[in-house]
Amino acid sequence: MIELRSTLAGRITLAVLSTLILLFLALPIIVIVVTSFGKDAFGSFPPEAWTLGWYKQLFADGSKWPAALSLSALVAAMTTVFSLILGMTAATALVRSELPLRSAVYGLVLAPLVIPQVVVALGLFLLFEPASMLGSPIAIALGHTVLASPIAVMILMATLKGIDERLEDAAASMGANRLTVWRRITLPLAMPGMVAAGIFSFVTSFDEFFISQFLSSVDTVTLPVQVFNVLQYNVDPSVTAVSAILIAVAVVALALVGVVRKLSGSGKQDGLLPTEPGLGLPAGSETAS
Amino acid sequence: MAGTALAPTPAPGAPTPAPGKRGLGRALSDRRTRFGLLNATPVVVYLLILFVYPIFSTLMLSLKGEEGGFTLHWYTDAFQGANLEILLTTLRISAETSLLALVVGFVLASAISRLKPLWAGLAMLVVVVPHFISALVRTYGWIILLGDNGVVNNALTDMHVPGAPVQLLYNEIGVVIGTTAVMLPYTVLLLFAVMKGIDRRLLAAAASMGAGRITIFRRVYVPLVAPGLVNAGVLCFILCLGYYLTPALMGGEKQTMVASLIDEQVMKQNQWNGASALGIILLLLTFAGLLLLRLLKSAGEALRNRGTAS
Repeated sequence: MIELRSTLAGRITLAVLSTLILLFLALPIIVIVVTSFGKDAFGSFPPEAWTLGWYKQLFADGSKWPAALSLSALVAAMTTVFSLILGMTAATALVRSELPLRSAVYGLVLAPLVIPQVVVALGLFLLFEPASMLGSPIAIALGHTVLASPIAVMILMATLKGIDERLEDAAASMGANRLTVWRRITLPLAMPGMVAAGIFSFVTSFDEFFISQFLSSVDTVTLPVQVFNVLQYNVDPSVTAVSAILIAVAVVALALVGVVRKLSGSGKQDGLLPTEPGLGLPAGSETAS
Repeated sequence: MAGTALAPTPAPGAPTPAPGKRGLGRALSDRRTRFGLLNATPVVVYLLILFVYPIFSTLMLSLKGEEGGFTLHWYTDAFQGANLEILLTTLRISAETSLLALVVGFVLASAISRLKPLWAGLAMLVVVVPHFISALVRTYGWIILLGDNGVVNNALTDMHVPGAPVQLLYNEIGVVIGTTAVMLPYTVLLLFAVMKGIDRRLLAAAASMGAGRITIFRRVYVPLVAPGLVNAGVLCFILCLGYYLTPALMGGEKQTMVASLIDEQVMKQNQWNGASALGIILLLLTFAGLLLLRLLKSAGEALRNRGTAS
C-alpha cells in the first residue's frame, strides 16, 4: 500500500488532540456516575467519601422518583409496541413490495428525524390539548412513536434486506400462505432486527424530553421531565443517582443490541453498533430523494 | 415533505398519480403492489394524523388572528424587539456550535480514519455510546464539570491560570461547550463515513509530485472531504436551531433560544399563536437548510461530471 507517511510530530499532535476530544465526550458521563456514589453530592471531584445514600433516597417514602420511573417505563413499553408494529409493516412495504410513491412514503417516514422536535411537540400539544388528553400516558407514547418509528423502520429495512427473499418464496411455493410464511420464516429470521428496533424505540422514548414536557400534566411527569425540573428549579442531590440510572439503562440497552447482533451473526459486516445507515442520524436529507 | 398530500390509500380509484408507465388500475391489480399498499397504510395514516396534521394545524394557528380571520401579525411580532433578538441569538449560537463541532469532529474523524480497526472501533464506541445516552444527562454532567468548583475550574486554578476560576456556566461559553458535546457525534460519524472512503494513495501521489504537506491538505484532502463537511455542518446547524435542553439549562438570559421562547409562550403565557409562528419559522429555516444541502449536492455532482468529461 502506497501511503503518505505522517511525521512523528504530526502523529503525536493528532493522538493528543483526539484523546482530548474523546475525553470531552466521555467526561460528563464519567463525572455523573462517580459523583452519584460520592458522599458530598455537589462537592469536590473525585469525592472524598463514598455512599449509596442517594440511590436509597430515590426509593424512600414520599419520593417522586418511583412514580416518574414507572410512568416512563410504561410509556416506553407502549412506544416500543407501537413503533414495532409500524416499523415492521412499513419496512415490509418498502423492501418487499412494489410500492407506488415509494420515495414519498420513505421521505414521510424519515421526516420526523429532521423536523425540529419543538415543532413536533408543539403540534402534538395542539392536537391533544383540545381532546384533554394531556398527561395521558397513551398520548405521550403516541407522540414518542413519531420519533421512534423512523429508527425502527430503518433498522427493520436493513434486516429485511439481509434476509434471502428466496427462502420466503420457497416456503410459499410449497403451499404456505402469506401469514404462515411471515410467522414461520420471516419473523424468526428478523428477530435480531426486531429486538434491536424494540430496544432503540424503548430507549428513544425513555430518554425523550421535549414531547413529554409538552404533553405532561402536573401529576403525570416522566423521568426526564422530572430530572429537568429538578435541575432547573430546585436542587435535589438524588438527581445524580437518577442520571446514573439513565446512563446505565442506555449502556445496558446498547450492550443487549450488541449481544443479539453477535449471537445472530449479523454484526460482523456492520461493525460493533448499528450506526449505519445513520442510526439516530437525520439521514432523511440524503435518503429521502 | 413530499408525502403530505400523497398518501397512498389501498382504496381503488383513489386520486393517486399513476406509478411509472403503468396505469393505476393495473398497478392495483398486481398482488405485490396491493400487499405493499396494505403494509404502508399503518405508518402513513399514523404519521398523517400525529405528524403532518399537527404541523399543519400549527401553521393554521400561526396565521389566525385573535378574533379569527387571517393575519400575519404573529410573524411580524416574531421579527420584532426581544423576539428578533432571540431569533438572532439562536442563529448565532447554532453557527458557533456547528463550526466548533465541525472543526473538532474533523480532527477526531481524521484521526480515527487512520487508526487500526481495533482502536478505531474502540474510539467509535466512545463517540457512539454517549450519543445514545440522554442529552439531558450529559448536559447535567457538563453542569457539574463547569461549575465554579467543578473539575475544569479546579484544574485551571491548580495550574494558576490567570483569572481562574472562570465563569463557564450560564453564559455563552457554557452553552456552546454543552451543545457542541451533544452535536459532536453527528459530525464525527458523518465525516468519518466520508474520510473512510478516501483513497489515501491520492495523497501519496500528490507528495510524489512534490506537493508539501500543507498543500496536500489544502488542495487534495479538504476538497475530498468537502461534501462531508457541508453535509455535517448544515445538518448540525439545523439540529441546533430547534435545540432546547442545553441552552435552557446552561445558558443565561442572553442565551435564550427559540425553543425556550416557544416553551415559555405555550406553558406560561398561553400564547399559542405566537408560539406557532415561531415554530413555523424554525420549520422554514430547517427546510431552507435541507434545500441548500440538496442544491449543493447537485451542484457538486455537476462539477464532478464536468471534471470527468473534459
